[in-house]
Amino acid sequence: MWRFLGTRLAMGFLTIWVTTVLVTLLIHAVPGDPVQIMYAQSQGTTPEQIEQVRRSLGLDQPIPIQYLMYMERLFQGDLGVTIRGGQPVLEVIVQRLPNTLMLAVTAMFIAVLIGVPMGFLAAYREGTLVDIGLMFLSIAGISMPHFWLGLMLLFFFALELGWLPVSGNGGLNLILPALTLGLSNAAIFARLTRSSMIDVMSQDFVQTAFAKGLPKALVLRRHVMRAGLLPVVTMMGLQFAFMMGGAIVVENIFSWNGVGRMAVEAIFQRDYPIIQGFILTFSLVVVIVAIVIDALYAVLDPRIRRA
Amino acid sequence: MGITVGMSAHSAPAGFWRRLFLSPNGVVGLMIVLGLIFCAIFAEILAPHNPAKMGTGGRFLPPSGDFPLGTDEFGRDMLSRILYGSRITLLIGAVAVGISMTVGMLVGMLAAFHRGWLEMILMRSTDVLFSFTETLIALSFVAVLGPSLQNAVIAVGVAGIPFYARTCYSAALVETSKPYFEASISAGAGPGRLLFFHLMPNVLPTMIVVATLGVSTAILAAAGLSFLGLGAQPPTSEWGYMLAGSRDYINRAPWLMTIPGLAIAITVLGFNLLGDGLRTSLDPVERK
Repeated sequence: MWRFLGTRLAMGFLTIWVTTVLVTLLIHAVPGDPVQIMYAQSQGTTPEQIEQVRRSLGLDQPIPIQYLMYMERLFQGDLGVTIRGGQPVLEVIVQRLPNTLMLAVTAMFIAVLIGVPMGFLAAYREGTLVDIGLMFLSIAGISMPHFWLGLMLLFFFALELGWLPVSGNGGLNLILPALTLGLSNAAIFARLTRSSMIDVMSQDFVQTAFAKGLPKALVLRRHVMRAGLLPVVTMMGLQFAFMMGGAIVVENIFSWNGVGRMAVEAIFQRDYPIIQGFILTFSLVVVIVAIVIDALYAVLDPRIRRA
Repeated sequence: MGITVGMSAHSAPAGFWRRLFLSPNGVVGLMIVLGLIFCAIFAEILAPHNPAKMGTGGRFLPPSGDFPLGTDEFGRDMLSRILYGSRITLLIGAVAVGISMTVGMLVGMLAAFHRGWLEMILMRSTDVLFSFTETLIALSFVAVLGPSLQNAVIAVGVAGIPFYARTCYSAALVETSKPYFEASISAGAGPGRLLFFHLMPNVLPTMIVVATLGVSTAILAAAGLSFLGLGAQPPTSEWGYMLAGSRDYINRAPWLMTIPGLAIAITVLGFNLLGDGLRTSLDPVERK
């Protein structure tokens, strides 16, 4: 188990390290002069000011030195300041990250609560019309663009029925974005749960349990469920990354004040310090969640726990 | 994931077409995809109006005889715009998947073929990139290159590389350990011959399934970028971009929202169903 977790931890560190390198290089990959581009939208910037910004970003130094400077500042929790407004990037992200995490976690709950029972039911009734119907529903769900689903939910629940607010950041405002993100991911959980359950049901230990004459409900609950849900736990880790990605679009539909909306605004405004901070934060969150899920998996699965 | 189709014959396995036509998913998917290709090729003939001409009809005309899908905020015919949009959508899917698949297959095959340091470097970097997630890679690319449809397609294509590389790698590993492959090595086949004449034809069935499913992912991702304003720019009749524009008129003209969304959903569904059908008809395990 420790070896398993050690490998995962090392992989996580490697990912974060590569991110810091890529984030430093990112600004050089921009076609043209990044400082000119960043300030292209603000009026009356003098060449002296631009030179000064170039120095303060360390862009006049050789790239390896720039990387070391960036890392040194990073370890002091300094992600630079935004081009527009001059606010510390870390502050902006810390302000908005909880909103994104809340959205992703709520959506995850919705996806699991809807998807897992669906998949279980389909597996239980494998080959019947219920199974075929549920699986068609899930493939249709996967095919539905989440931004479209979001617009439709917005139209019906907020505009037509007037039950829920259109946008904003209150508790009620969370419902529609979380539902959008959750529903569009439920289908993936349904498919995975189904195939995992079917796989487990054909294994020897389940056949033995049936052969012993245990009632079906008991076998399902005690043998099939436990083993069949393990891949779902792993999937939650992978899917969380997708939720974070999906949040970028959903936040924009519902004007939810998270890091995704911030990132898209920053791309339009060419605010590279924010974009760099966003990429770092995003991969940090994804790596941490993946490691937590792996640890959870190791605790839940005796085959890994005892290895 | 877990889609490994092992075959040593170079052509499709016996009974492949029959099995594809027997799977309801495959048939429906194939029909949708063929229908789309038809629309894309014959858009000029099928479209009742010029898709770019403003004021073809009044603004915000609801669906009717003259304008079966209504008109938009500039009085452009929606049906014609959707029909022409199918070209862009199919092109996006093809180019993006082309990028992911070409690079991904090269990386995967090289890693499986050249075991050792090259394998280590290639697959570790693939793992790292994979954990970045496709969304982040695509978004970073657009952030660097700037918003445009062309850049969005490149971004989506590059973002897909790690997944294709991984899948191709595991399929290629299976092939390189088979007797025919070892036999070709003993017979003195050079690396180029081994890679492109022996390995590639045999990982291709797996990769075609992945690519078919991948077209839907790529179309969704590119439409998502266009929806955010980071992809197609006006006056393109790209569906994701059209959908984004509909937000402002959601109350006045709800069909502007439903129609492009439905078009994307049906397209993606078509490729998903076709991919599903291809998988079940190619995979000897699923066939049973």
